[in-house]
Amino acid sequence: MSKLILTVDDSASMRMLLKTSLTAQGFRIESANDGQHGLERMHEVKPDLLITDINMPKMDGFELIEAVRQVNEFRGTPILVLSTEFSDEKKARARSAGATGWITKPFEATKLGAAIRRVCP
Amino acid sequence: MSDEFDDIQAIFFEECTEGLTTAEQGLSAMQGGDVSAEVIAGVFRAVHSIKGGAGAFGHADLTAFAHKFENVLDEVRGGKIPPSPGVVKVMLSAFDVLSDHVECAKGLAPRPADQAALDALEQVLANKGADDGAPAANSAATVAPVAAEPPAAAGEADEFGFVPMAVSLDDFDAPAAPAAVDGAWIVTFKPSRAALANAGEPLLIIRELETLGAEIIGVDTGTVPSLRDLDPEDAYFTWTLRLPAELPESDITDCFDFVAPDSVVEVRRDAVAAAPVAEVAPAPAAAPAEDDFGFVPVTAGVEDLAAEMQRVVEQIAAASPPIGSVETPAIAPKAGAGDAQQTIRVDLGKLDLLLNLVGELVIRNSILADRLSPADRQRVELPELARLTRQIQDNVMSLRAQPIKQAFSRVPRMLRDLSVETGKQINLETIGETTEVDKGVIEKIGDPLTHMIRNAADHGLESAEERIAAGKSPEGTIKLSAEQRGARIFVRVQDNGRGINRERVKAKAIEKGIISADAQLSNEEIDQLICAPGFSTAETISNISGRGVGMDVVRSNVEALGGRVEIHSVPGEGTTFTMILPLTLAILDGMIVRLAGQRFVLPLAHVLETVQPEIGQVKRTSPDSEVIDMRGEYVPVKRATEIFGLNDDRQVEDSLVVIVESEGSGKVGLVVDTIDDRREVVIKSLDQNLHPIRGLGGATILGDGSIALILDIEALVASTNRYTPKGLAA
Repeated sequence: MSKLILTVDDSASMRMLLKTSLTAQGFRIESANDGQHGLERMHEVKPDLLITDINMPKMDGFELIEAVRQVNEFRGTPILVLSTEFSDEKKARARSAGATGWITKPFEATKLGAAIRRVCP
Repeated sequence: MSDEFDDIQAIFFEECTEGLTTAEQGLSAMQGGDVSAEVIAGVFRAVHSIKGGAGAFGHADLTAFAHKFENVLDEVRGGKIPPSPGVVKVMLSAFDVLSDHVECAKGLAPRPADQAALDALEQVLANKGADDGAPAANSAATVAPVAAEPPAAAGEADEFGFVPMAVSLDDFDAPAAPAAVDGAWIVTFKPSRAALANAGEPLLIIRELETLGAEIIGVDTGTVPSLRDLDPEDAYFTWTLRLPAELPESDITDCFDFVAPDSVVEVRRDAVAAAPVAEVAPAPAAAPAEDDFGFVPVTAGVEDLAAEMQRVVEQIAAASPPIGSVETPAIAPKAGAGDAQQTIRVDLGKLDLLLNLVGELVIRNSILADRLSPADRQRVELPELARLTRQIQDNVMSLRAQPIKQAFSRVPRMLRDLSVETGKQINLETIGETTEVDKGVIEKIGDPLTHMIRNAADHGLESAEERIAAGKSPEGTIKLSAEQRGARIFVRVQDNGRGINRERVKAKAIEKGIISADAQLSNEEIDQLICAPGFSTAETISNISGRGVGMDVVRSNVEALGGRVEIHSVPGEGTTFTMILPLTLAILDGMIVRLAGQRFVLPLAHVLETVQPEIGQVKRTSPDSEVIDMRGEYVPVKRATEIFGLNDDRQVEDSLVVIVESEGSGKVGLVVDTIDDRREVVIKSLDQNLHPIRGLGGATILGDGSIALILDIEALVASTNRYTPKGLAA
């Protein structure tokens, strides 16, 4: 069974781009359009990996990561942040919220795939 | 894939448009004094998303510019730069350039000159917004290199994350690098507790290194406590691995992308083998935090240690809850839990065809209604069919409808530019942006709208000095509004400027030979001269409205859409241009009336009441005008038959007077022979098949298959009695 990834991003084009490029690499993709929606979808799809944006309406990426990590079931689920932000402060915040890693947009499909396999083989 | 990519990119551009609208609204709000965190965050998020998508789609210039803009917004958001009027002004200019960059990314415009805007943003960043003033020209040198580079530059990778796009060039640039191949890589790795807590699985890294040819040469298990004290969520091992010398260092450091900062990672050349070149070996540039734990590599008994490690790992696994991602079972997603708002993109041609077919369906419906007896109508459930048909029509119409905001969105920017060009202060008020208009109309009113706005800013509004002298506020206002009335859309551009200088307009028209020197014209007729071909009132051709496009082009564009332009001007108070446009094809609630025996459709939305006049109720006040006494109120009466030149010798007492309400003329009575019916009709435009005729808003097909013309009330009642020649000959 191929790995199931939940991608959370408020931009439809970004969700589609992720879906297209990752499906082509053999992953199964589910998506959500903000943090709040992402948290709901976590419980629904129970993915092998969560990839989330940071700047989103309703619930941002930091809040989503914290909320996900508080669920016992998801303590071991790798979480990658995919964001255009790259400040040390933001990364440290994501890290302390419980993120496994950080990928800066723009991403290159193959490198993103490699990064994903690094936490979710 | 590339088609798919194009499709996704098209969605990205739509998001850009939405983002730009949000950003502009936010910035306008900030300009208006609303600098709440919410507004600032909204602008930030919009620009941020544009940047993110732009990067993903490879628009480097757009990304770079959005990045710089975002930096400033981030500082404003964080309270480090105050959102002073000066800073907001810089951001508004940056917004304009950002819009241009988006157009450029779409391939619709050349690359904008963004240096000035970049400089201004840089200046704001440098001064922390302290100096609202002009951007320093000499900051260009410092800005250029930053702007030319994508934001995800190699140097910005830090101990936490890693930038996948970035490749450390050190390995290639360092002259001694090839020589260093002699020494194998020695990697020391001690994952931290935090790595495990964040679901970073060290074994995955070890495995990845193994695929690169790594062999484990040492595992320090000295820190593993007894099983009783063992914390299954902590990490206890330190691994030492040897990797082939010819591997680029970045391949190794890449594997540690997601290693938590307090983990120990050390990448170095094997000291013995690499000794001759050790001093020039490249430094482990991107390696995460390197605390020296004083670890001594164990080089003996590797096999045994590895086996022991495996045993301990198994113990740990048995003692701890399954937290590893590897064990997490993948459960199939529930069906139907997809995104809430899904959209598809459809070829407009298909929608047009659908709309046309539905129109035919509506017509067939009424033919059926005409031909069936009342009993049969019920038997075949005709009313139900009619209702469904109407619903389908409404829905198909709504598929093409878009808020007029899309056409209005260009205006604020245009006015900012005009403000700079003319030196006038111009405020913009917008009303009715959410009015939904057919997409085709939105696309086509852009140019006329642009010209009307330019005209208002250039000719309509006075300079600040003139305004003060005239006792007005120094800032001019342009009001832009849209509303739907029945089957028509009214788009107004209203300025509070000087109004039309009729003396000058008339003189100019005489000079240009448009009218004869002794022509007697009403004020309205003089105003209309602005739209005469070849007319321009500007003394000197300014670069704003004098671009070879006059109001005549506006009028012909609007008339090509089946609409018309009305001009209303009050000297000293301002001018209003109104574009009255039809919905391209719509259902209209109509009253079927007869004029000289022929059937016409009168839009019901205009009808107030119908009167059967008694003798003496309609009075002639002059040879040219009649009024009807409506309970003491005198309402002017127009004979449509006269206007259309139809032969009619019927007495007014034998006719009906339909009181209609018009925008331009208020209440007016229209004399008709009789009223036949009330029904929904499908508008077929005349100008597509014939040419626009003033006084007529289109045609329709009645139930018996015959054609009836639809009356355009506004044009009918606004026309003077002697207007006929021009209107019908047009």
